[in-house]
Amino acid sequence: MQVLKAEDAVALFMTGGSARIDTNVTPKFKVGDTVVARNINPAGHTRLPRYLRGKQGTVHKVHGVFGFPDTMAHGQGETPQNVYSVRFTAQEVWGTDASPRDSLYIDMWDDYLDPA
Amino acid sequence: MNGIHDLGGMHGMGPVDPETAEPIFHADWERRLFAMWMAAFACGIYDDNEFRHAIERMAPAEYLTTSYYEHWLIAMEQLMIEKGQFDATELAAAWPNASEGAA
Repeated sequence: MQVLKAEDAVALFMTGGSARIDTNVTPKFKVGDTVVARNINPAGHTRLPRYLRGKQGTVHKVHGVFGFPDTMAHGQGETPQNVYSVRFTAQEVWGTDASPRDSLYIDMWDDYLDPA
Repeated sequence: MNGIHDLGGMHGMGPVDPETAEPIFHADWERRLFAMWMAAFACGIYDDNEFRHAIERMAPAEYLTTSYYEHWLIAMEQLMIEKGQFDATELAAAWPNASEGAA
């Protein structure tokens, strides 16, 4: 078993560790694409917030390849895939009472998205 | 899972009221728990997704009435039992020996 040595702890805490996976996976979407968050309701772990399911957004940035929390949380492997910053307008999420000036930028994995 | 942790959009939770001059830790046990979490994580006993899911699996009423690091503690106890690091009996036996002054 690997161990965290005391002399390595400070460096680890000060620099953090990236969850990025160094492998090439073709992204399903590009900046500017309109996407819809899937309506999934898994009994296990997911990072897809309930309030976004079925909502439409726009890909703002492609972050690159990361492991998929929904499988990693259950010992089912990394399922490497692209993650995007997706912009959802406040009015798309909360309706016309919301401010027309506000948006949410949410990190979304490929498996959370369908083309609009 | 559609649990109480996914609070976005709910009403009735009161205002977000951040502390002024918030300390990094509110008690020494939080500091020690943070160190234990990192050490166990670095050993590969669990990953952070498993840990998050362990917090999500807390009973909803308990989740809402416990603090941030209490979530860590409860989830870490659960995960360490599930990963075979100790069992519930050992944990229960150890608790009476725990004290805030213990290093």
